[in-house]
Amino acid sequence: MVAASKENFIVNDKSAVLAPDKLIRHVRLARLLHWLMAICVLVLLTTSLLPIAEIKFSWVTLHWVTGLILAVTALTHILWSLFRTRIRQMVFGLRDMQDAVRTLLWFFRISGQEPAKPGKYSPAQKLIHHGFAVTILASIVTGLLMMVKVDTPLWERNPYWLSNASWGIIYIIHDLASMLLVTMIMLHIYFAFRPEKRLYLRSMVLGWISRSEYASHHDPTRWENK
Amino acid sequence: MEILRYSSNAWGQKALEGLSWDLLWVFFSIGAVFIVLHALYMWLLPPKKTS
Repeated sequence: MVAASKENFIVNDKSAVLAPDKLIRHVRLARLLHWLMAICVLVLLTTSLLPIAEIKFSWVTLHWVTGLILAVTALTHILWSLFRTRIRQMVFGLRDMQDAVRTLLWFFRISGQEPAKPGKYSPAQKLIHHGFAVTILASIVTGLLMMVKVDTPLWERNPYWLSNASWGIIYIIHDLASMLLVTMIMLHIYFAFRPEKRLYLRSMVLGWISRSEYASHHDPTRWENK
Repeated sequence: MEILRYSSNAWGQKALEGLSWDLLWVFFSIGAVFIVLHALYMWLLPPKKTS
């Protein structure tokens, strides 16, 4: 039933010593980058939103330093994804669109036809990934621009670098990205802990899924690992 | 509810400061309502898998 061999699933993870019934879904570097970005985003949201709730502390330095760590982590993830992984696995194409519609029709009992099994990532996983990518990149770019207005060891602040109107647009994009992240993180954590999705949470912690999970949740012809 | 935040600069001009923090509750509520509705739906009317 499972067409691919174990070796086909172990990519770039020399430390992976698995039982025969386990398959690598996320290699160590992918997991490390995911959790590092998660910690950075949570620290950034906490340091920016707590002062709004009248919890005052010196948050600016912690905020921009964490922002820089997030920027480096995101850049590493992008470069690693482009050069060392199969980027096609994460592309949201026409077939994903059809699968998403079919899933929604089945979910709401409009159609009895079950959705097709996905490849490595389901349409929903691809969409939340791309949503996080756009939102986090928007917050990084605007955050880096806003650093011009902060004194750092490398430069003195220059609040007049852009016009008031331009700064206003940058603030709006940064704020909107932050608020969207609140909603998206809530949904991401909720789905990660749902019983039927918990295998993906485990794979993001430990790296593996079982062969039976692979057979029941994925289409071997769509999960390319050659 | 305000959509945008403004402040006055040194010359008394109105300067855009970003989105109103009131909107934070809107985004939080959207997430919370989605989670509650999805959890209730999955509990009461779980989609049936044949395989």
